Amino acid sequence: MKDTIDPVPNTRTWRQIPQPVRPRAMSREGRKRFALALLKTTGLVVVTGAVGWGILEMASTWQSEPKRIARAVGTAPVGKIDLQTDGAISRAWVEGVLALPASMTLMELDLAPLQQRLLANGQVRTVVLTKSFPATLTVKIAERSPVARLRMENNRDYLVAKDGVIFSGIGYDPAALDALPWLAGVKVVREGDGFAPLAGMETAASLLAMARAEAPELYATWKGQVVNLARLESDGEIEVRSSEIEKIVFSTSLDFRTQLARLDYVRDAKAAPLKSVNLALGSQVVVDYDPAAALARPNVPAAKPSAVPHSFAFPNLPTSSRPNRDL
Amino acid sequence: MTSSTKFIGAVEIGTSKVTVLVGEFTGRELAIIGYGECQSRGVMKGVVVDYKAASECAHAAMQAAEQSAGEQIDLVYLAQSGGHLEAFYNEAAVNVKSADNMISALDIDTVCRLATAKELPAGRMVVHNIRRPFRVDGRLVPGNPEHLVGQRLEVGYWTVHGQESRLADTIHVIRGFNLEVRELILSGLASGHMVTTAEERQHGVLAIDLGAGVTDFVLYRDGGPYATGAVPVGGSHLTNDLSLGLRLTDGQAEKLKLRHGRALVQARTKADKVWLDGNFTIGDRQFPQQAIEQITAARTWEIFEVVKKKLGAAFTPEMCAAGVVLTGGTAKLPGIADCAAKVFGVPAHLGETPSWVNENLRDPGYSTALGLLYYGLASQAERAAPARRKRGFLQKLFAPA
Repeated sequence: MKDTIDPVPNTRTWRQIPQPVRPRAMSREGRKRFALALLKTTGLVVVTGAVGWGILEMASTWQSEPKRIARAVGTAPVGKIDLQTDGAISRAWVEGVLALPASMTLMELDLAPLQQRLLANGQVRTVVLTKSFPATLTVKIAERSPVARLRMENNRDYLVAKDGVIFSGIGYDPAALDALPWLAGVKVVREGDGFAPLAGMETAASLLAMARAEAPELYATWKGQVVNLARLESDGEIEVRSSEIEKIVFSTSLDFRTQLARLDYVRDAKAAPLKSVNLALGSQVVVDYDPAAALARPNVPAAKPSAVPHSFAFPNLPTSSRPNRDL
Repeated sequence: MTSSTKFIGAVEIGTSKVTVLVGEFTGRELAIIGYGECQSRGVMKGVVVDYKAASECAHAAMQAAEQSAGEQIDLVYLAQSGGHLEAFYNEAAVNVKSADNMISALDIDTVCRLATAKELPAGRMVVHNIRRPFRVDGRLVPGNPEHLVGQRLEVGYWTVHGQESRLADTIHVIRGFNLEVRELILSGLASGHMVTTAEERQHGVLAIDLGAGVTDFVLYRDGGPYATGAVPVGGSHLTNDLSLGLRLTDGQAEKLKLRHGRALVQARTKADKVWLDGNFTIGDRQFPQQAIEQITAARTWEIFEVVKKKLGAAFTPEMCAAGVVLTGGTAKLPGIADCAAKVFGVPAHLGETPSWVNENLRDPGYSTALGLLYYGLASQAERAAPARRKRGFLQKLFAPA
């Protein structure tokens, strides 16, 4: 059989009858319908064109001169700043930073620079500005929480957040700030008008947070005292001076929870006031008594003065089984 | 209403009246929401003879239908009838190409194209190509023969064609209302689809639509149309015969036909007389009932005889087990079913529209317009399915150049 089909005659069907629009051959009703359809099509084309042209025109005006659109829209000046924050920042401070002119409308506001102004303060972690028409500017702020204080050379005090950001602190209760420990042994680097974030602050913050959450009595003795990070980078050690013990050394390579438990145990089991406690030596805790204080206590036998500090091995219990004696 | 909703106008421009139905088709369902009717002018024996007059009444009916529906018609399914319509049967056969003798879509396409490719005389155009069931090695295949195994594939088409100018005239009447004719459907096919059931069509049935100027008929066999035809004789000829025989005006004759006409003679004596008006007005006359019945019965009998003759060998009582179904305005003539039964030698009955059709549209006169909507949508869906398949990306990719 042949592969190709013989050419077949092309029969004509009624579908080949042209159906042209001839208004002269139409009845009056037909002409009316035709005119209406023509009008509809024309109207649709005109409206589509006008909308397209309008969009293009608005886009170009928005780019070149946005104030013209604001004037055209005619919105009222910003009447209210609605502040939503999770911290201590007040609306007065926000208003002061934004410093919006009284006559400025929402349409005229350029939100990006305003956002940058608010973010310039380290206390502000994130900020979202929303125009709520007709005349409200909504400011949603997520703040950094201070974990320690820092005194600069010019005797000005700053606050330090968990991520190492240094900020001046706005709207905090002074009593709450007094409870924060001071930072020492840190290298502060200037960056623009402010300071660069402190290195290693996250480690120190986790120690402080752990102490505050799990050993509040212990942490109470750190309030207003000093957390020294001078040997953090070189030796991986954090020195804390508490109101009871002059020097407590923590290691960043060991579990803070275990170290805190050991410190608590030593503190409870002490025979005399402690001068220093070194928790950075693994299962060994080096304790240094204060001989002068021990002698001053009448009922307590005086510790023998020794060139070598007294030390004892921490009770040899599995670390995992006794982490929180009092915690 | 969704964006895919279409308002379809089913338009029948008949000899006595123009009927328009508006169907709201949502893509899944069809609801008839509007109806318009107008006495026809400028149409003779189903053919437009006065464009202006025919346009005016057709447009008036379409406008009435749109007003009744409360929506504008989007497209039109138009009924086509008239004595200019003719038909012939043509068949073709191909040898199955594949080595394993499995029939492919290409084989089907080839045989169908060959069967429909018959040159028509000048000025003639195809209105319908009605396919009869396929045959594989002489075995009848009611459905699609693709993937069946056989050596020879045969198919036959019943091709209905009409005079181009007559078809164009009817289409231009609709175009004059600024509407597009989407489907042109043979009146007999539309009404036949409406008054016969699928079971009847499977067993074999003859549907006769007796209109005012044209009598359309469709013979169904094996579930589909087997033969169609149109005789340019209808109810108006009965009126004309009465008018000539009893020397009456057309209006008077029409009145007598509707009141006293019968398709079979029932009156026994010439003494039985009927009044023309029956309201005792001056000029009212009496006519013998028997004479009226004899005239109308003779013409009715003759119409059926002509239909039978036109069907020729295609009609046999054995192959028409479901009998004859009558529809159309003239089918309301008393005794017509008995007359048809006598002529064709098979049971005959008046066609009934399905029960879900609105009470107001159950009259046999609306079966064509109703059928236009349902047959038109069905045939459109049938045509769309293989068209979609053909356009497949892979088929295009691997199609022979």
